[in-house]
Amino acid sequence: MNAERTFALLVLLAAVGCANTPRSRDTGNPDVAGATLAAQVCSNCHGVTGSSRSPNFPNLAAQQPAYLTAQLEGFRTHSRTDPAGFEYMWGLSRHLTDGQIHELATYYAAQTPQPQRREGKAERIAAGQQIFEHGLADKAVPPCGSCHGTDGAGQAAFPRLAGQHADYVAKQLTVFQRTNQRPEGAVMKTVAHSLSSDDIAAVAAYVQSLQPR
Amino acid sequence: MHRTTPLFGTALRRLRRFGAALALLLLPTLAAAVPTFARQTGQNCQACHAGGQFPELTAYGRLFKLTGYTLGSRTLPLSGMAVLSDSRVANTTKSDDPKADFAKNDQLLFATASAFLAGKVTDNFGAFVQITYDNYASQSDDGHFHGHTNIDNVDLRYADRVVDANRDIIWGVSANNNPSVSDVWNTAAAWMQYVPVPSPGSSQFVDGNSPYPGFAAGGNIAGLNAYLFWNQWLYVEAGGYRSATGIASFMSAGVDRAEKTRLQGTNPYWRVALSHDWGPNSLMVGTSGMHAKVFDDPLDTSDPSTLHRFRDIGVDAQYQYLLDPHVFTAQVAYTRERQHVPAFLADQPVTDVNGNDLPNTNVFDRTNVLRAKASYVYDAHYGGSIAFFNLTGTTDSAFYDPTRVVGNVSANPGVRGFTYEAFYTPIQYVRLGLQYTRYDKFNGASRNYDGAGRNASDNNTLFFYVWAAY
Repeated sequence: MNAERTFALLVLLAAVGCANTPRSRDTGNPDVAGATLAAQVCSNCHGVTGSSRSPNFPNLAAQQPAYLTAQLEGFRTHSRTDPAGFEYMWGLSRHLTDGQIHELATYYAAQTPQPQRREGKAERIAAGQQIFEHGLADKAVPPCGSCHGTDGAGQAAFPRLAGQHADYVAKQLTVFQRTNQRPEGAVMKTVAHSLSSDDIAAVAAYVQSLQPR
Repeated sequence: MHRTTPLFGTALRRLRRFGAALALLLLPTLAAAVPTFARQTGQNCQACHAGGQFPELTAYGRLFKLTGYTLGSRTLPLSGMAVLSDSRVANTTKSDDPKADFAKNDQLLFATASAFLAGKVTDNFGAFVQITYDNYASQSDDGHFHGHTNIDNVDLRYADRVVDANRDIIWGVSANNNPSVSDVWNTAAAWMQYVPVPSPGSSQFVDGNSPYPGFAAGGNIAGLNAYLFWNQWLYVEAGGYRSATGIASFMSAGVDRAEKTRLQGTNPYWRVALSHDWGPNSLMVGTSGMHAKVFDDPLDTSDPSTLHRFRDIGVDAQYQYLLDPHVFTAQVAYTRERQHVPAFLADQPVTDVNGNDLPNTNVFDRTNVLRAKASYVYDAHYGGSIAFFNLTGTTDSAFYDPTRVVGNVSANPGVRGFTYEAFYTPIQYVRLGLQYTRYDKFNGASRNYDGAGRNASDNNTLFFYVWAAY
């Protein structure tokens, strides 16, 4: 029967395909290169070049490698415990080697960020810009740009914010403000302490609107 | 008891039996989440299942499936699932024998259990195999129910993906036993059903018996489909199905020989879909179809003149909005089915219960099924949905049946109604659900559909379930 022959061929193909390291989705194989994992696994949420479609998942293009490394290590060791972290990232990072983490961080840092849509009213974005550039003196909130760069490109452990999804930024600011689920970002607990929900929405809308430079 | 002209009674009984067997095969199987996949990726169920409402897949879940269940790291590929349920039919008095017609009405039952063998095998090969035990699969003459185990959904995949900044090509081959079980959208015939459902032996009117768009060939057959997903935009799948015999007989393991679908030759199946994701939104518009030649009697495949020839063509669309903590989904599916009835069953005279002549039985039957559903889940814990179903079809004297409760004196197959569901998922491995199915029309009529005073609304059913999987 033709169907039987085809089925046997399928089984044969499966056997032959035991190892396909250049196009593997195996998160437990230390021989799979970081760039391969980025394309075959991470791209499902974060996009092939680190620009994600869904605001559920952060853009990673041109992200600071030190920040990416710290996050992946935080997921791997379960020190980062916010829901977005453990629901999606604990499992995928559990077997990553230090070398793969380094390769992933290098891969995303080298990607070109895509311009994001401006979302929200102009007044809100302007209010966000005010917070980003000058802080809120009456609430002892420092300007975001002092650590994340005036253009929002980030530096070292301070992540790039320019062009990040507003929804993601707002959720993470809330995590920093209300929980201790991201101990590596403990400094943000102090920074975000006095932000109102309107402040958070404003600064999130502004950083999303920041164009890549 | 129904009466027909003696000459054609046998043929009509066969047609009815065929219809009943097909209905059984078309009953939604109890497919759902597979925790072994969650262990393989280390992720929560909701990464792949929208708001944790199984089996609906997220964009990520669709890619996980299309890449052959190979993402993650190998783990123990075994999961189990069990369902407790209690269903209550609105009216159990309009019946000659309520104890038989509503045997397990309003009783908490251990309804079904499934074992899954599922997961990554190699970098390119993965499997999803479900084996289901139905605790109330059959009933003997003394009224006792008997459990039965058989193979359920099978999907063995070889897949590969070439992806870079300029292209994303996922292709693969699926060996499976149920047309559209290989599909990744929840409007596919194999996946649109509410899960879980009670076994038919415990409640015959609950959602499982309300119509879903589907393919006449049903499950327990053997197919080989090739598919391509190009730039996460265009999906094309084509393949063929044959009887599950020889090396593929495991595709129907445990299914009684008299209930197996026996096909003539290779029966083509196809699927085309356009998908677009933007922001938290995901939209799919698609079409699918199948031609199937099904032997009237699975135990006798010697005579091609006993073949039922089906042509199913469907269109479907799904919209998802997924942005934590909100999940909203809207789905619609519509299938048109045309059946060419075998010559020995077509154009046969029929008389009704009073001895009056009815029109001769049809040469062709047509059935149209529309189903639409909207659902919302908050924080993967609290959810609800509403679904509308409407089956319309040609009146055919072959459907005439004055049997009380299950009969059909209009000889029209029409069924129309709504299903409402609310559920709570305290942890991702357990779900409690309360579901209500309301019939506005049943077996072709709103009132007195069985000729003995039973109305469609008498079949309205309340269904409570506890689903657990690990």
